[in-house]
Amino acid sequence: MALFITKRLLMALATVLVVAVLAFLLVHAMPGSPGAVSLGAGASQEAIDEVNQRMGWNDPLPTQFITWLGSAVQGDLGVSLIDGRSVSADLASRLPVTASLAAGATLLSAILGIALGVTAAVRGGFLDQVIGGFVGLLVALPAFWVGVLFVYLFAVQSSIFPATGYVPFEVSPQDWALSLALPVITLAVGGAAFIARQTRASMLEALQQEHIRTLRATATPTWKILYVHALRYASLPIVAGIALQFIGLFGGSVIAEQLFAMPGLGQAVQTSVSTHDAPAVQGVVVIATVVVVAVNLVLELATKFLDPKLRAS
Amino acid sequence: MSTAVTERRDTPPSAAGTPVLEVKDLVVRYGRGRKAAAAPAAVDHVSFSIAPGETVGLVGESGSGKSTIGKAILGLQKVSGGSITYQGRDITAANAAQRRALGGELRAVFQDPNSSLNPRNTIGASLGEPLRLRGVSATEARAKAEDMLERVGLPREAVDRYPSQFSGGQRQRISVARALICDPQLVVCDEAVSALDLSTQAQVLNLLADLRDERGLSYLFIAHDIAVVQFLAERVVVLYRGQVMETGPAVAVTGSPKHPFTQALVAASPVPRPAEQAARREAREALGVRTGAAAVPGSGGCPFRLRCPLATDLCATERPALRRVGASDVACHYA
Amino acid sequence: MIPTVSPASADADQAGSTTTADASVPGAGKAAPTRLSRHRLLGSPGAVAGLLWLVAVVAASLTAPLWLPFKTEDQDFTAVLSGPTPAHWLGTDELGRDILSRIFAAAAGTLGTSMLTVIVGVGIGTILAMAAAGGGERVEGVISRVTEIMMSLPGTVIILAVIGAVGTNIPMVMAILGILMSAGIYRVILGQAKSLQSQLYVDAAKVDGVGPLGISLRHVLPGLANTIVVQAALIFAVGMLIQAGLAFIGFGPPIPQPSWGGMIQGASQHVYDAPWMMVPTGAVLALTVLSANAIGNALGKAPNAAAPHLPSAASRRQRAKAVAAIAAAAPGGKEKDDAGIHSGAKGTLSVRNLSVGVDSAGAGNGVRLVTGVSFDVEQGTVLGLVGESGCGKTMTALSLLGLLPSGVSATGGQILWNGKNLAAATDKDMEAIRGRDIALISQEPMRALDPMFTVGYQLTATIRRLRGMGKADARVEALALLEKVGIVDAARILKTYPHQISGGMAQRVAIALALSGQPKLLVADEPTTALDVTVQAEILSLLRALVKDTGMSVVMVTHDLGVVADICDQVAVMYAGQVVENGKTQAILDNPRHPYTLALLAADPHANDGDAMPERLATISGQVPQPKDWPAGCRFAARCQFAGSACLEPVPLLPSGAGDGLVRCVKADQLAVEGMDWLATDLPSARALEVTPKGGTRELNTPLSGIVEKDLA
Repeated sequence: MALFITKRLLMALATVLVVAVLAFLLVHAMPGSPGAVSLGAGASQEAIDEVNQRMGWNDPLPTQFITWLGSAVQGDLGVSLIDGRSVSADLASRLPVTASLAAGATLLSAILGIALGVTAAVRGGFLDQVIGGFVGLLVALPAFWVGVLFVYLFAVQSSIFPATGYVPFEVSPQDWALSLALPVITLAVGGAAFIARQTRASMLEALQQEHIRTLRATATPTWKILYVHALRYASLPIVAGIALQFIGLFGGSVIAEQLFAMPGLGQAVQTSVSTHDAPAVQGVVVIATVVVVAVNLVLELATKFLDPKLRAS
Repeated sequence: MSTAVTERRDTPPSAAGTPVLEVKDLVVRYGRGRKAAAAPAAVDHVSFSIAPGETVGLVGESGSGKSTIGKAILGLQKVSGGSITYQGRDITAANAAQRRALGGELRAVFQDPNSSLNPRNTIGASLGEPLRLRGVSATEARAKAEDMLERVGLPREAVDRYPSQFSGGQRQRISVARALICDPQLVVCDEAVSALDLSTQAQVLNLLADLRDERGLSYLFIAHDIAVVQFLAERVVVLYRGQVMETGPAVAVTGSPKHPFTQALVAASPVPRPAEQAARREAREALGVRTGAAAVPGSGGCPFRLRCPLATDLCATERPALRRVGASDVACHYA
Repeated sequence: MIPTVSPASADADQAGSTTTADASVPGAGKAAPTRLSRHRLLGSPGAVAGLLWLVAVVAASLTAPLWLPFKTEDQDFTAVLSGPTPAHWLGTDELGRDILSRIFAAAAGTLGTSMLTVIVGVGIGTILAMAAAGGGERVEGVISRVTEIMMSLPGTVIILAVIGAVGTNIPMVMAILGILMSAGIYRVILGQAKSLQSQLYVDAAKVDGVGPLGISLRHVLPGLANTIVVQAALIFAVGMLIQAGLAFIGFGPPIPQPSWGGMIQGASQHVYDAPWMMVPTGAVLALTVLSANAIGNALGKAPNAAAPHLPSAASRRQRAKAVAAIAAAAPGGKEKDDAGIHSGAKGTLSVRNLSVGVDSAGAGNGVRLVTGVSFDVEQGTVLGLVGESGCGKTMTALSLLGLLPSGVSATGGQILWNGKNLAAATDKDMEAIRGRDIALISQEPMRALDPMFTVGYQLTATIRRLRGMGKADARVEALALLEKVGIVDAARILKTYPHQISGGMAQRVAIALALSGQPKLLVADEPTTALDVTVQAEILSLLRALVKDTGMSVVMVTHDLGVVADICDQVAVMYAGQVVENGKTQAILDNPRHPYTLALLAADPHANDGDAMPERLATISGQVPQPKDWPAGCRFAARCQFAGSACLEPVPLLPSGAGDGLVRCVKADQLAVEGMDWLATDLPSARALEVTPKGGTRELNTPLSGIVEKDLA
């Protein structure tokens, strides 16, 4: 088990490194030199060259990468080309927004998805078909469209929730929850549908296992077969599905943040990409990767822990 | 042809000239790296040979390494040590091209009739594949496939059908046809009848016996059922945990087994005559072979010693070498 | 935003588990796969509708210049933000542009670039999967590591970074998206590719000398075709959603050019004053995605998924109705009439005229699997149900516990146990009987135990439930039970998981589990078939000892006549859903009266002594007929060498004259008198042609109709 965890940690580290290199290369392929971007339109070529020289943007790429990596490890991701603010500080203020959004959406997706999936598998018949159709529809609806619909229904028609904006938890927990409600639900629609499908398939597979017959042959009550034994068997793929979903939802926050005007990582990546703000793009890519990889690692370890075969070895 | 058959039955196999197949000190370990080196070998220094026209049976329980040996001979399993020689040619590490050069002399029939034919190909395509690989024209391959189907008791029209349209026994006949279509010298039958019902099992066993007598084939017949092996094989090799326990003429090994494991194996195979079976059961219980304690990993000594009624301290330290007892070679200090 | 590729439930088409002994449920046949895919696609109304919609959208967008009422940039200032009107069927946007025109003008680009994602993603995923499956452990390890890394990336963020670098070059972005998604596709395909690689026909091709590339192309790729199409459809849908999403946040095609995501973005700006604008584009996008998904799901549906061992609530309700019908049909409480003297005796099981069939509501159309089966099991005795695959012996055994697979149920007759007809008992009533009165052990002990719980938990939970014991008592009893079934280190075994013990040990645990409710009758379904012979002998000895000690009776399902000889007091030989011979084991095995029994014994190599092993075994020509092909007369007649015209009439089960034995053969007496032997019927054709030309010709001209045509359903 210790060996397994070490291996996974190394894998995670490798993932982050690979992404860092990748992001670095991508950023350098962006049009316009950093100096040009930072000085804005109308700057003279000499001024641009001077800035590029001074900031080390003319150094060979490997040197630049090592320098960047060295300070990144110490928590310094450089400064924005646009407003000169520290990228680390900016992202640190944005991370909680996206994290609450993705975590909330994953949690809601898991609860709704498991409930729907288990019900469909266990009840069968007409209800299964109804849930199947409903879930199929949810999968096909684009999140941004659903988001607009929610804004229309809950913010325009009846102002239950604020249409846009984010209130930090420290300011008011209640407003924080309210401000998150619509974006979280928006993201959870597709996520729940995905997890519902995974859950239904896993439950049905569990119920096809022969040990279910043994349980019936020893007069195990139906509820126990379903919710203790079958669900336990199905839990492995379901948790794996939730882990995958978190990754998807973390990325999905780009849309939710744009739609609901939330100052999160998604918004940062969108603006920095539009403005060719190289250090900011690179920083946000790396931070997003670290978060996703870390959460994924935890969920993966949870999956492995659920499997007696792996736990025992 | 018939003279060849009698000759085969009468002469001891070792005297019949160069063997078709010679397996020497074969060792197979699963996995790779340090872990594999530490684990007990799946096949542990196994040697035997098959004379032209001879059928050798490989018997053992699950985990005895019998199928692994078959796979190693067929090139489906990497060999860790020893050598496999086919008609004087070393094929221990032959690649696909070298196997193709064997010209289809070494063939196989596998256990599961459901998976031994590609469900997406017609019977004709499956049978023709080995021929086509050797440059036989499509028309000729088809004609040969039809002949072969007829020979195994199926209609010629079956070439255009799919495997799903046949029963298990019929599919196994088709597998036999596929194995024999390039006129092989040696056919490895890996549990070829184990998945079949009694009546179809008998059909396929008879077919294998007939084809052997017709064509002077050699078989390596791998099975867990000693009675089935006894029907087809002239010589039997008994395996336990990757090692040869006993080897000799089929009649001797099954009729008067010398090794305690062979004795247990023969005694445990039930016969469908109640009175006789009751007697056999008592005899088996009197043998004193203990319940399946796990084999000894790694170390020397006899792998059977934990279950063996005869075992002493010697059996824990020294691996018994094969020695002649009666008509058989037995790997036991006390047989 | 990059929705993860759903690991579509693995296509059960090829994946193993094909050797179930009595898989006599019809429709289990596999047809040529291409036909099957088409069948599946056209069989789903959703998929057909989806296909039509996709074709319509593609056709409409390709011909758009010919019929569109407006150019995409035409601005109608008289109708800004209008709803549907005769001039603008789907309304207009904030600049008065016709929405219908813009939707279909944008369609071709959207669909085309989404296809790019599909081609790149599915292409790379498939190639990687085939390489990993065929390249051995090391190659698979490397590829799997790399794809694992790819899958744990925040794909959306990376795509946006790519856009930063290459600009909004949609085809390029969609191709890179395909690369990112190929990891998920690889994972889905890998499992199937590996299962195809492990097929014996691949081994056979390797023996032929086919190289790795040839194997992949000839034997693996065709088998993956269906999965690939399924993945392509699902990825297509995902690609469209992502592309629209990118356009929505401003990374779509350059401004005046219409795109679905961009149009929704525009509409979202006017959700306050013109909510209608959201509808047309959203609907078209959703319908297109829905269509692709519907096609993918219809193709991806496993053709004959195994039936659940615990049916859904809906099918349990249906079965309850069927049971009520049998109960109503049977003379309630008056079972004694035809059950005779036996039904009263406690601990005696009497099966009378039992029939089992596929539910007529399902695909099987009420096919009979077992008909008119009757037998008795006295207390403390062992009855063997023996026969080949497809004879209905397992179905008969499972019906005793009311545990027939979903879609199969007892359709008539009685199972009398302590004066109760179990064939007409509700599931609730059966729950009181299962475990406590009648217990079950099955063929594969490993699969019969729950892999997620320790042996100790499974045993103690069962003991507590069935015996009402406390936790501590149950543990003591569990230890005692394990020792009773011959496990020496019981305390250690209690702590293990099923995968940590051997097959023989697992069967002992399964027997202990079955004994935990102190049952009076044990139903043992091929309990030793999956075990080595030496282990089989030990398990049989154990069962014999248990019968002696506890006085329970056993119904032993087996195909092995040696096992019958070893342990059974009585035996019922089954053939094609009927009992053909029934009586004392010794009488039947030593003096079989039915030709089928005679033939089975003659074909069994175990029946022959080592020295007297014949040169050829006797065989029975042909095979057991499929339930739908059962004739009205003797079901064995077509394969019987003694058959005559009298065999075309239905044959009753009559006293055989030997003790209380029964036999279903019109010629039984004649055969007994003449002492005829079952002869080998498949003389080698080469020899047969010379010796007995008649037999030989018959063999050669076996009509094609003899081939089993399995159901395509």
